[in-house]
Amino acid sequence: MATEKEEEKISTLLEDLTSLESYARDLFSFLPLPVCLVSSVGIILEVNPAFENITGYNIEEIIGKPIEDILIKKEFEELSKETLEKGFVRAKELNILTKEKKEIPTSVSTILRKSEEGEVIGYFVGLFDLSDIKKTEKDLKNAQIALLNMLEDVEEARGRAEEEKNKTVATINNFTDGLLVFDPDNKLSLINPQAEKIFDIKQRDVIKRSIQELKTFPTLEPLALILLREAKDILRKEIQLKENLVIEVSSVPILRGEERLGNLIILHDITREKLIEKMKTEFVSISAHQLRTPLSAIKWTIKMFLDGDLGEITSEQRDFLGKTYRSNEKMINLINSLLDVTRIEEGRYLYKPVPTEIEPICQFVIKSYEEEVKRKNITVSFKKTEKRLPKIIMDVEKIKLAIQNLLDNAIRYTPSGGNVTIALRHGKKEVEFSIKDSGVGVPKEQQMRIFTRFFRGANVMRMDTEGSGLGLYIVKNIIEAHGGRVWFESEEGKGTTFYFTLPTKEEFAGFLKGF
Amino acid sequence: MAKKIILIEDEEIILNLLQKKLTLEGYDVSVARDGEDGLNKMREAKPDLILLDIIMPKKGGFEVMEEMQKDKALKNIPIIVISNSGQPVEIDRAQKLGATDWLIKTEFDPQEVIEKVKKQFSISG
Repeated sequence: MATEKEEEKISTLLEDLTSLESYARDLFSFLPLPVCLVSSVGIILEVNPAFENITGYNIEEIIGKPIEDILIKKEFEELSKETLEKGFVRAKELNILTKEKKEIPTSVSTILRKSEEGEVIGYFVGLFDLSDIKKTEKDLKNAQIALLNMLEDVEEARGRAEEEKNKTVATINNFTDGLLVFDPDNKLSLINPQAEKIFDIKQRDVIKRSIQELKTFPTLEPLALILLREAKDILRKEIQLKENLVIEVSSVPILRGEERLGNLIILHDITREKLIEKMKTEFVSISAHQLRTPLSAIKWTIKMFLDGDLGEITSEQRDFLGKTYRSNEKMINLINSLLDVTRIEEGRYLYKPVPTEIEPICQFVIKSYEEEVKRKNITVSFKKTEKRLPKIIMDVEKIKLAIQNLLDNAIRYTPSGGNVTIALRHGKKEVEFSIKDSGVGVPKEQQMRIFTRFFRGANVMRMDTEGSGLGLYIVKNIIEAHGGRVWFESEEGKGTTFYFTLPTKEEFAGFLKGF
Repeated sequence: MAKKIILIEDEEIILNLLQKKLTLEGYDVSVARDGEDGLNKMREAKPDLILLDIIMPKKGGFEVMEEMQKDKALKNIPIIVISNSGQPVEIDRAQKLGATDWLIKTEFDPQEVIEKVKKQFSISG
């Protein structure tokens, strides 16, 4: 018979048990992790709601079923074996099969349940749904692969860029012209070996310096001066650096779309070209000189024939000799023109400029063409100024030649009965000479070439095949050597007016200073 | 008596032309083909006028003029130089060495020669 105390104790114990049972049951139900209790032979005895969820089986459907229905047989056997041996399995990755026959990756853990006597009752199987994790893993893996691919592509692109850069650097370093690059702030950002050689400097001494700073290097000074002075974007200038080194400097802006990234300076050695030009001029000069004397001798001899100094000649002989004489004269004139040209090119042109009045020179030249003008029936008039014109500093012979060339052209290209007017005008700082003819004019499309060497207009070539094409080239050079300007206006079929200006004494002095 | 002219010129054809022309004009013309020969003939013949080429082998025109200046007997003989090119530099130098006139070989014509010779004689008498 139980005492009251014992009954009380039992009652309390029963209460505790009930509440414990309730606790366990609540916990079991609450657990969001799928858990089931499995018998020692693998029959599902109990499941929690989470287990129902993950497997898709209802509690009634699944209790009594073998766990093999959910786990693959082979895997279950392994699981079971290990559980029985070790007492537990921790986090084994297995796939379970849901009611819909869908496979879900899970992490399976088990723990053995033994009775008090040590008998295996069964084990708890806990599942952890790895689907999300697996998916994330997969996503990460894909992302990783994608990144690696991108990296590879970037590497490849970088490799190519590097290769291009190396090619460019090699090109720049081996370029036969000197190269300098200035950044938009006009600081030197690149200089290649050839440029170093030309200026006898080392990259490390000049890199990053401004043009002003570069001016302090003696060999760089001429270049720096040009770069500082020229405001133009694109320039091309020749400079003589040393006795036997002439460089052509070209400057080109480096643009990317509208943006200016800097300036590229190219230094091209034209020493040889200059030398060849000089040799050519010398050759022409020497040849022309050699030709002069024989031509002169021929001229003389024929003249003596014509003058009767070598005996009487028949009129037929006179005729032929006359033509030969004129032919020879043409040659002499051509040679003289060529010599003038070579002298211009050699720079030895203005001899002794002295202050002179231009009016008498005009008179002199006009008078020397008196006969020619009469023969062609052309009227030549000379418009002088009322007041005396100021003296001009000039090489008299050269100005005489210039006016002569212009008058010669005017007469030559004006048909019979036409007129030529020479006028002088006093400008502000200069004297202006103009010569207007009623001749054939210069065709519009040929006007820009009129002052070039050997150029003759198509219309005058047809009319008169004699001219050398050097006359106007020489005129331009003479006038410009005096600090003047020369230009013209012309209309084909109507006539042409040539103008030139010469600076007055004071202005000329200023002009000379510029040298 | 005909005026004596010595012609010193190395180019055969110019020499012939000048000689012919001057002889026709009535002058007594002797020739020399280089400066050395020219000076010898000068000392021998005492001419009234020298026509002197500048560029010559052995002795050139400038050298001849320099020597003439140093020689009392030759100092006062009038000289017309024959310049090859007519370059002012050349003419200038010739004038400084005593040339009283010049001819430009490549440009002159026979008449000009005669005129200059006559002019020279009318000055010096």
